[in-house]
Amino acid sequence: MTNSKPPRDFFSVRSHVGRVQGIISAIGIWAIFFGVWIVATSLGWVNELLVPSPQKVLTATHDLFVNRGFSSDVLVSVGRVFISFAMACTVAIPLGVAMGTFPSIEAIFAPFVSAWRYLPAPSFIPILLMWFGTGEAPKLALLFIGVIFFLITLVMDHTKNVRTELIETALTLGASRYVIILKVVFPAAFPDIVTAMRQMMAMAWTYLVIAEIVASTTGIGAMMMRARRFLKTDEILSGIIVIGVLGLLTDVLFRVLHRQLFPYIEVKH
Amino acid sequence: MSDTLLEVREVSKTFTLGSRKTLKAVENVSFGVEQNSICVLLGPSGCGKSTVLRMIAGLETATEGRVALGGKAVTGPGQDRGMVFQAYTSFDWLSVRKNVEFGMKVNNIDAAKRRERTNHFLNLVGLSKFADAYPSQLSGGMRQRVAIARTLANDPEVLLMDEPFGALDAETRWLMQELMIDVAEKTNTTMVIVTHDLEEAIFLADKIIFLSSHPGRVKEEIIPAFKAGKRIADKEHIIRMNGYSDLEEKLMRLMREEGHREN
Ligand SMILES: Nc1ncnc2c1ncn2[C@@H]1O[C@H](COP(=O)(O)OP(=O)(O)OP(=O)(O)O)[C@@H](O)[C@H]1O
Ligand SMILES: [Mg+2]
Repeated sequence: MTNSKPPRDFFSVRSHVGRVQGIISAIGIWAIFFGVWIVATSLGWVNELLVPSPQKVLTATHDLFVNRGFSSDVLVSVGRVFISFAMACTVAIPLGVAMGTFPSIEAIFAPFVSAWRYLPAPSFIPILLMWFGTGEAPKLALLFIGVIFFLITLVMDHTKNVRTELIETALTLGASRYVIILKVVFPAAFPDIVTAMRQMMAMAWTYLVIAEIVASTTGIGAMMMRARRFLKTDEILSGIIVIGVLGLLTDVLFRVLHRQLFPYIEVKH
Repeated sequence: MSDTLLEVREVSKTFTLGSRKTLKAVENVSFGVEQNSICVLLGPSGCGKSTVLRMIAGLETATEGRVALGGKAVTGPGQDRGMVFQAYTSFDWLSVRKNVEFGMKVNNIDAAKRRERTNHFLNLVGLSKFADAYPSQLSGGMRQRVAIARTLANDPEVLLMDEPFGALDAETRWLMQELMIDVAEKTNTTMVIVTHDLEEAIFLADKIIFLSSHPGRVKEEIIPAFKAGKRIADKEHIIRMNGYSDLEEKLMRLMREEGHREN
């Protein structure tokens, strides 16, 4: 009993949460969530038709994947996100870096880009449908529009945050403008750019679901709208869960990528 | 001490602040820096030391007057005038070795020579063991040594340093100052060093250019005669030398006069 630790106050301000407490806290909140859900459905507190039990949702998910070809819907959705996101990055990263490096280029594009940022991307859905019909193009276009203007702005800001001393050091070492952009400015901003990409990826998933719910016969969102027609709430919830899991996976993917690409960045707690 | 390598002649710098206001930061500054010597720019805060150094580096253009290196007018930054800043400037995404190689790579020095020079200068600044570490794993003083090695390896004709040790703790600062004396001896590099640390100025300088403030003018050009052109290897030694305290007192008085003028 001599070396027992003093009890920690649960509400200690900005003190580090231990590993065990962290795990318990994280699992606990989910346990409560599912507990309430299970209790509410099994005791009949809610309309079974509107809120199916977790077990039913799980069975429905299994059924969707095994018997109903849901995996092709998932693949279609994932494909849409990655293709449109790649297209957005291909434009946004070079342009954002250029805008953050050359005030003359910023002067041209910044007023344009910030105006577009204030237009909600879904407001383009009707016109996109008229222009591109019902194929893949309008969905890709919506995701592209929804992501690119924010991404450009973030990349530009991160590029501007590259310290002037780094650029001036390179200049006094005899580096040309070209070398400075490729070998100093870009590598210096790159970790933050990858973080910006991670944040924008979440946005891409949001627009994907909107596109698929409004105007699509394939993909996760379309499946959910089909399920709605047949009052299959369990399948709708399956769709939501799958989207959540995919979102989480992409986030983890980006974190891993960040750690692999930038081993020199100390992990800050 | 032989020929003048670097010449700053009647240089003035006026900054434009906003649309109408201007600020004369430096006025009519002239001095020369001899080959293989260390010249220290000293003066109170805000007197224009950095501005003068940046004009030598070519990072700032002089409003009037000219800077010439080996008789050739300076028109912009270049490999012949390497600069070390107070803030850390290590390229964090490159290993220490790649940092040191950076300038040589940019200037198309072949790989074998690059490697040899990198090893040589890492050894000179005592970082051989850390060649493959990332700068983020190093202490402040070590990072500054990476910056110095990187600049020297690029073979500049003059090494410019703006309060390079200002962010370091006292003991590390002494070590760095002693390192610079060692480097100067071994590499025959001409240096211009900005500081507002009197001890540092006396210890390092073959010549001190004291700037007065608002606008910056050369108040006095001082040669620490008591060192008689010798460079003293360690700090304890110099403090006991005849003439050290007189010079320190004189610089203190100059500093104070300028400080008062400011208020
Ligand atoms: N880019 C700039 N634009 C406007 N004013 C500037 C600029 N750079 C410096 N100044 C002004 O010029 C004067 C001299 O500045 P400088 O940085 O050269 O002084 P310093 O002697 O290096 O000071 P410190 O010891 O604080 O580093 C200051 O009044 C400063 O505000
Ligand atoms: Mg300064």
